[in-house]
Amino acid sequence: MTTSINKSFHVDHPVDQVWNNLTDPNKIVLCVPGAHLTEQVDENNYKGGVELKFGPVKAKYDGVITFVERDAMGKKMVLNGKGNDSKGKGNAEMTMSGQLTEKDGGTDVNVTMEINVSGMLAQFGSRLINDVSNQVFDQFVSNFKAQLSGGEVDSTLSAGSLVGGVIKGIFGKK
Amino acid sequence: MIVDSPFTIDNSPIKIIYQLFNANNMIQCKTSKAISGMGHSMKRKEDARFLHGKGNFVDDIKLPGMLYMDIVRSPYAYAKIKSINIEEAMKVPGVAAVVTGKDLEKYGLHWMPTLMSDTQMVLPTDTVMYQSQEVAAVIATSRYAARDGREAVKVEYEPMKPVIDPYKSLEPGAPVLRTDKPGKKDNHIWHWQAGDKEKTEKVFAEADVVVKQQMYIPRIHVVSIETCGCVADYHKVNNHLTMYMTTQAPHAIRTVIALVAGHVGLTEEKIRVISPDIGGGFGGKVPVYPGYVIAIAVSFLTGAPVKWIEDRSENLQADSFARDYHITAEMAGTKDGKIQATRFKILADHGYTDAAANPSKFPVGLFSVGTGSYDYDTAFMEADAVYTNKPPGGVAYRCSFRVTEAVQAIERITDIFAKKVGKDPAQLRMENFIKKEDFPWKSPTGWIYDSGDYHAGLKKVMDVVGYDALRKEQAEKRARGELMGIGLSTFTEIVGAGPSKDFDILGIKMFDSAEIRVHPTGKAIARFGTKSQGQGHETTYAQIVAEVLGIPAENIQVEEGDTDTAPYGLGTYASRSTPTAGAAAAVAAKKLVDKARKIAAYLLEVSEDDLEWEPGKFWVKGAPEKTKTIQEIVFAAYTNHPQGMEAGFEATHYYDPPNLTFPSGAYICIVDIDKETGGIHVRRFVAIDDCGHIINPMIVQGQVHGGLTQGIAPAMYEELIYDDDGNILNGTLMDYLVPTAVESPKWETGHTVTPSPHHPIGAKGVGESPTVGAPPAIANAIIDALSPYGITHLDIPITPFKVWKALKEKGAI
Repeated sequence: MTTSINKSFHVDHPVDQVWNNLTDPNKIVLCVPGAHLTEQVDENNYKGGVELKFGPVKAKYDGVITFVERDAMGKKMVLNGKGNDSKGKGNAEMTMSGQLTEKDGGTDVNVTMEINVSGMLAQFGSRLINDVSNQVFDQFVSNFKAQLSGGEVDSTLSAGSLVGGVIKGIFGKK
Repeated sequence: MIVDSPFTIDNSPIKIIYQLFNANNMIQCKTSKAISGMGHSMKRKEDARFLHGKGNFVDDIKLPGMLYMDIVRSPYAYAKIKSINIEEAMKVPGVAAVVTGKDLEKYGLHWMPTLMSDTQMVLPTDTVMYQSQEVAAVIATSRYAARDGREAVKVEYEPMKPVIDPYKSLEPGAPVLRTDKPGKKDNHIWHWQAGDKEKTEKVFAEADVVVKQQMYIPRIHVVSIETCGCVADYHKVNNHLTMYMTTQAPHAIRTVIALVAGHVGLTEEKIRVISPDIGGGFGGKVPVYPGYVIAIAVSFLTGAPVKWIEDRSENLQADSFARDYHITAEMAGTKDGKIQATRFKILADHGYTDAAANPSKFPVGLFSVGTGSYDYDTAFMEADAVYTNKPPGGVAYRCSFRVTEAVQAIERITDIFAKKVGKDPAQLRMENFIKKEDFPWKSPTGWIYDSGDYHAGLKKVMDVVGYDALRKEQAEKRARGELMGIGLSTFTEIVGAGPSKDFDILGIKMFDSAEIRVHPTGKAIARFGTKSQGQGHETTYAQIVAEVLGIPAENIQVEEGDTDTAPYGLGTYASRSTPTAGAAAAVAAKKLVDKARKIAAYLLEVSEDDLEWEPGKFWVKGAPEKTKTIQEIVFAAYTNHPQGMEAGFEATHYYDPPNLTFPSGAYICIVDIDKETGGIHVRRFVAIDDCGHIINPMIVQGQVHGGLTQGIAPAMYEELIYDDDGNILNGTLMDYLVPTAVESPKWETGHTVTPSPHHPIGAKGVGESPTVGAPPAIANAIIDALSPYGITHLDIPITPFKVWKALKEKGAI
């Protein structure tokens, strides 16, 4: 099943600095909760993994991360990551597109994530998947901002807070 | 054709029952409360142990040295298995073995037949065909170790693009899924048809009015409280298997096991199937699931008992689904509302294999009863079944083989027709009903409806709700822009499968049986080939025997579910227990009355013709003080029986019904809909059922309440949803909405009594009528509420979102 999330946010940092962070695999991957890089294959391809834990369900995806597009002039990038759960519980694919625009000395960031999961995680049902993806995305944004300001990045994924957040999200909806 | 009841002997106790019941439509009890025969609301005998937590379900069974099994399942709907690595799993403390398809292949146990004579993998050797399919089994010394072991099994898959949409599955060029079948070139399973095609086409071509509606009866699940499971206990020394399992048909299962495993030495006399207490079956516990077979195989190989119990998600995701019919329904008639013909075209999505549980000759079950309660003579129906990458099934979920689908189609299209000709749906039904005096009535598809009084049922339910006043209220509300709907369903069921001429499962005829043994002190044990899953057989069967024989129901112990002790029968599903085994009980008891008469004549030293009988005693005509009670007679059968007569007091009967029975019902549902949110409030629901003679009114009412709740479920809440990749999107009860007490309206119930003329006690069966009849009443009510805005149909489940969206599209909000 496919889930798509689009978010825009503004940072006070100059567009070139934001671009460098966004397109540096060692920095961007650190902002994705639970993700790590293990090996650089070539200029655009990396090997790595993502570990996710939603309450009782653990999934560990080993896979390949590819920069499909890095347009420094247009400040547009597309990153694709896909992997299989190491225990055969399913696979996941994520395509992230980022577009930067200079504004008031800072930068407007527009990010779209398209996530496609099969197997165990898909069985959560669309409702939970959306909420979990949103939580992960929010954590990514706050990490990304912290990194730009030279702050600490929390790349671990707290199962308790994640599921708690989702449950709060479901019941807090109006 | 109708065959006369086997009870033609004058003075038969059965005849007496008839006369009393037929006097008027009220339930009259012929026996005293002490005897508690038919018509008494006797409290359920089985409830004491359930209320005290002393039931004995499969998961309560613990045997010395028992191993536990858990199952690795596929995350993909369609994938090649590249490798299965069990190394890590074997390191988990307590894990004893991991069984794969390749292991079973060595013994020829990796495939099994389905009840529909299709084939199904037990465990795959190379390809998985649906999400949650069994891939490997982990055997361990505890349940927790088995689950940990399951997590540690590594399976490498190569996913393939699955076929999920049944229409696309039939398109030329669609990938052929069942490559295991030599020469199979498409995904088509079978074609079925009934009725007269040419005549139907002619009537349709010449009719004043023709209406047509495409409708989907969604894939749902029975969601019984207890999931499926078993304990397989094979003793190597004795070469004997005891199989404790959640099955609605223990005898049939024993025969199937013997057929599948005979080649490894497990022949039928070496197999004992015990179906202990069951926490709901609803058709989901009729099929043979791979888990049962794997447990047997592992117990056979290890010599240890093996327990397998599904968890809730496994049950919902992998066990047999129900429904999943795409139907094109058409009705032709005159402009003043006379129905002339119907036509139905079905596409049946069976998933990976046809694992339905229908009688062999009926691939669409008894769908052909879908011409309904209306008097016309022309119909044509056809169906095609297809394979897709979804779990297999097509079980008869609390309905007699696809009758729910049929009733939804006919009752929806009847409403659409009524709307088209501008008639009130109640009036149109009244004008088209088969008349009481026209029974037995031959339907356009060849069924002989045994009896019915449809006008009386509809009139009664209309009186209870105050139909005319409701229509007036509705008109006033509509003038104010408020949404109120009144929905009807006047359905005919077909149950009690079935006559051996037409009905069998894997060749075994669908009779059922009863064996009554009366002990010297006048207390009895009665055993049956059926199996209660909550229906209350221990009480109702005892009441049937009490009715005929006069031994208090309280003193009759009913036993089912053990193939070593019970007589052979095909089990409990499709509302068949009362029509078949209930009848067998009445006939067997009647045989005992005949024997009792001989003993009484001997004891009283009179001729048999000089005796009068009422359940419980014989007396000499004109000398009522000269009496022998049934207890005295039974004692004499063991202590002082006439010379030349066989001693003892036992009887067995295998009842082969001459026809099916045709219960009916008239339901009205009233809904109020919030225009702004689409929220649907069921204000009232009144169900008038006619199941012939009622054995225990309290149990019937309970059955109807449960059935109605399982009727509102698909009408408003339940549907198993799959995405294009074959992922189930609501595979837990968090997302799959089962109605609870909160969602259930107050069910109002009542009855009319039109006995079955061919059944020994005139009963018809009731377990499924409400599940079958409720969904169209609810759907019709909702559509009726929305009709001022030009909305003529919505597929079930009709959710607030669907209502809101339809209103939005029509510009109503």
